[in-house]
Amino acid sequence: MIRQLCRAMQSAAGTVVLTMLFFALYYLFLWQAVDLRLIYHGGGSVLNFPVFYKGLEFFHQTVFWPGGLVVYISAFFAQFFSIGWAGPLIAAFQAWLLWLAIGAIIRIACGRQLRLISFVAPILLLILYAGYIYPFGIAMGLLAALGFVYLYMRLTSKKRATDLPLFLVLSIILFLIGGGAYLVFALVCGIYELFLRRRPVPGIAFLVLAPIVAYVISAVVFEASVIDVLNGFWPRDIINIFRIAAAYGLYLLLPLTLLGLWFSETLKKSIAGSITVWFAKKEIVLPSPLVAIVAGAIIGVLSLNWWLKTQIGVTYFSCNGMWRQILETAVEYPGNALINHAANRALYYTGGLTQNMFAYSQRLDALMLPKEAWNLLGMWRLFDTYLELGQMNQADSALFQCVEMYGEQPVFLKRLALINMAKGDIGSAKVYLGALNKTLFDAGWAKGWLEKIELDPNLSSDEEIQRFRSIIPTINRDFNIRDDTVFLDLLDRNRHNRMAFEYLEAFYLLSNQHDKFVENLGRLNDFDYIGIPRIYEEAILLYSYTKKTKVEIPGREISAESRERFSNFLKVLAGKYGGDKKAAFYELARDFGDSYFFYSIYGLSGMKQ
Amino acid sequence: MRKKAVIFIFVFFGLSQAAYGAGIDKYETIDRPAMISPDYNSIVIPPNIAPLNFMVKEEGSRYLVKIYSQNGEGFEVAGKSAKIQIPDGKWHKLLEQNKGNELHFDIFVKTKTQGWVRFDTITNKIAIEDAGSYVAFRRTHPTFTLTRGQIAVYQRNLGSFDEKVVMENNNYKAGCTSCHTFYQYRPDEMLLGVRNVKYGAMTLYIKDGVVNKIGAKIGYTAWHPSGKIVLYSLNNLPMFFHSANPEVRDTVDMDSVLAYYVIDSKTVKTAPEISRKDLLETWPAWSADGKYLYYCISPLTWMDKKKVPPKDYDKVKYDLVQISYDIDTDKWGEIKTVLSAEDTGLSIAMPRISPDGRWLMFCMCAYGCFPPWQPSSDLYMMDLKAAEQTGKYEYRRLELNSDKSEGWHSWSSNSRWIVFSSKRDNGLFTRIYISYIDEQGRASKPLVLPKKDPQYYDYCLDALTNAEFVSGPIAITGERLAEAIRSAGISVEMPLAITKATPTDTGGATYEELE
Repeated sequence: MIRQLCRAMQSAAGTVVLTMLFFALYYLFLWQAVDLRLIYHGGGSVLNFPVFYKGLEFFHQTVFWPGGLVVYISAFFAQFFSIGWAGPLIAAFQAWLLWLAIGAIIRIACGRQLRLISFVAPILLLILYAGYIYPFGIAMGLLAALGFVYLYMRLTSKKRATDLPLFLVLSIILFLIGGGAYLVFALVCGIYELFLRRRPVPGIAFLVLAPIVAYVISAVVFEASVIDVLNGFWPRDIINIFRIAAAYGLYLLLPLTLLGLWFSETLKKSIAGSITVWFAKKEIVLPSPLVAIVAGAIIGVLSLNWWLKTQIGVTYFSCNGMWRQILETAVEYPGNALINHAANRALYYTGGLTQNMFAYSQRLDALMLPKEAWNLLGMWRLFDTYLELGQMNQADSALFQCVEMYGEQPVFLKRLALINMAKGDIGSAKVYLGALNKTLFDAGWAKGWLEKIELDPNLSSDEEIQRFRSIIPTINRDFNIRDDTVFLDLLDRNRHNRMAFEYLEAFYLLSNQHDKFVENLGRLNDFDYIGIPRIYEEAILLYSYTKKTKVEIPGREISAESRERFSNFLKVLAGKYGGDKKAAFYELARDFGDSYFFYSIYGLSGMKQ
Repeated sequence: MRKKAVIFIFVFFGLSQAAYGAGIDKYETIDRPAMISPDYNSIVIPPNIAPLNFMVKEEGSRYLVKIYSQNGEGFEVAGKSAKIQIPDGKWHKLLEQNKGNELHFDIFVKTKTQGWVRFDTITNKIAIEDAGSYVAFRRTHPTFTLTRGQIAVYQRNLGSFDEKVVMENNNYKAGCTSCHTFYQYRPDEMLLGVRNVKYGAMTLYIKDGVVNKIGAKIGYTAWHPSGKIVLYSLNNLPMFFHSANPEVRDTVDMDSVLAYYVIDSKTVKTAPEISRKDLLETWPAWSADGKYLYYCISPLTWMDKKKVPPKDYDKVKYDLVQISYDIDTDKWGEIKTVLSAEDTGLSIAMPRISPDGRWLMFCMCAYGCFPPWQPSSDLYMMDLKAAEQTGKYEYRRLELNSDKSEGWHSWSSNSRWIVFSSKRDNGLFTRIYISYIDEQGRASKPLVLPKKDPQYYDYCLDALTNAEFVSGPIAITGERLAEAIRSAGISVEMPLAITKATPTDTGGATYEELE
């Protein structure tokens, strides 16, 4: 039965179906498992995602340089990574083209199909995507090089003495449009002529001419560093050795295959189109696409960097107001400062910061992140927090550093436009909006704002901008302050800054500054809270109990539920365990692990999860 | 049949184009000039400048601009787009024929309701004197905290839109490149400062295609008119940030000193008069005859040089002083105050003297020594010739100022033009402007450096600063410069251990030229 099935799959129709299945699964993996939107977003981990602008200025800047056309086209298509289903479709299509090109070249080179080899390139690409690396640009360069190799092979003939002029013409064109990827073309053509066509003269000539062509065009024509041009298409900013190997493997796959074909006749025969295995003492021939599907699935899953996915995912969710997803992640990854910081922002927006912040793991240094976390990863998390609190200058500084590091990504430019509008620098905001107006998918947002500015040059009737303006602090301080001064300044500026108030009280609760917490409870009346938020009730009860003093907030009473809960907490701690904190730990964690009572005693939270 | 169709198409096309150029007979007049961007209205134009392409900011479906002057044939630019892109050849010919005359733009717009309307003529003046043929400038992000973003020195042909990179920090894997200065506007003799984590701080001295790497950091630089020495400041300028000021970034000169590099002996020197421990000394500028050095000083009032910013950093104000110097004997004279901050109430920076020796242009701002980050920074002018006669240094604020930062100004070789950086269009993105200075020292309304796409400045996210006129194209390539940077370290004797601003003594090996 199995053998019959394998035989059916080895037929032409079967091969096509299996190949389609491979790429369909490839697409689904990129879409659902990897989620290319995360690579587009970057989250501080993707250093080389390209920007793209419409218009001739960007076109001229980019294209008229060695490799520029490929960079331009890659940058254009890369923008579609921002669309959940579209990016993977384009990436899968590119992978399919690579598969096609490699298969066609090998067929010409040795007269046979080596299907399994063709699948290796897409799988190597998958390894890179799964590591949250952006390989689309180098793969595009490789595709261009393979296209030219195919062209060379089709247009040349062993019967002619030399094909040097054609090689040179193709070399020049490819170097101009593909930059460093040209070396793959030269290497493959050289190996092909030298070893497979057995024409040593053109073979050696091509290999010798390759660096000369690169140098002449770079240094003489463009006055550019040939190393810089070549580097543009070689893997950079990859740290993991396994993924570095995958990246170089992409480029070296075809040259090594051709060398292997020359080297071993056996190799040529044995990996023609299938793998032979033994099962229950019977020989079963597994078709290559099936092997590729299984290998691809295993490698894909094993190479998926789940932790990086989580980290980038949290910033993606944060930037897009996906609060539920952040809180789910916070439960899975307690104790991480960067995730905790995002979770607190999510709690604020879902009303949870005053109701159940201690249902999640909390750390004081995660609230506003310490100076030590003010690296680029920290800044990715902080700029929205600063912006929403009203600390425009801090947000501005964080965003500027992100722009320097990651490029003029729309996620930064939008926020910089808002900051400048809030600060009243409409001129600068218009420049950011002008740049965004030239992007593919954020032009609409920018146009909307430019139209508003046209009608209302100072945006004095725009609610969002007016709200921002009402919360920008006026007291100039040391940038690096991370204590309650930050929030008090904001509240001084505008006592109705709800986020500043909730963060202030959260700060006092996390740092066990109960006196100050109680001092600021009167601010509840500046907002529309109904009664007293649950966490605050718990803190008040604890404070009253320890200080033997009553805390009164006019017009508000502590709920009966909170009183009962506190009473039960005391019954366990003081009653059952005689005040022995160590002994009472597990029972209190189980029943009160999400309360401020528990945090205040043990410095831990989120225990109930 | 096919032949007839082709002829028809050509005739139709030609007629429709001719319809614009045939002159608009019927139009209404609007009693104001059209709004155009950039604002090229009532300016003085260098006769060698590239076409002043602009946008007509008036609603319409068709646009026609007639450009003409006293001599020669005017021409028209017409089309459906409000983007007016002036043909290069006709533009230059008209300007060349009309030096000293007025240049007119008659703008017609076809509106929905009124049909064709004609706005008041825009009139500009074409100067007799050319501005420099090239401008070298720096392109960076508005803030360069990390120096990982692109920082590059560019050169721009003033007569066209050609711009080319001279050097960028990608050539040497990130860092800062700045302080490009040219000896007597010559593109073949220049200095370029570079700072890089991997290769250190250095200065590239380029002469006649040879790149020499001086293993020393330099700051603001001034070539002595003789070309024999280069005076420069060494500054310690840490950046800090304001949590609530409109301008986020700021800097304070924690310590600074003046020194000079002697070209022939390849040594660095200083003198007690210009390297006092109790003073901050910066922004050197030579008089046209090289007999006087002008620079800015302020008392160094803080002891703790690690605390940034120091107390009362926003009360630091610089005076403008002058000291005599004899190049033959290498002797310095006495410091004399030219303009004191106490009298002006402002801090003085960036003195630059016109090549004819007549004018001294400088910035003044609320405090400190870095005007680009001070919205209060404006350009001022002092008549040195008048000062010689009267003994009084009088100054005035130039007409070209805005309510945003102006600075980084530089003179053309004929003393008739200045190029400077301004944030007048917005508070953040510095642009390069050119202004004509007449014989009475009055500045014309500045014009922004024209671009092929007149909307370029609406979306350019770079700051364009440190502009300097150059008399020709800079031939040295970025690759050649990067090679020099990456080459083995070359030391220069640094006998300076006077203030913390000085770099570490590199051990005393003498400077060598590279091949």
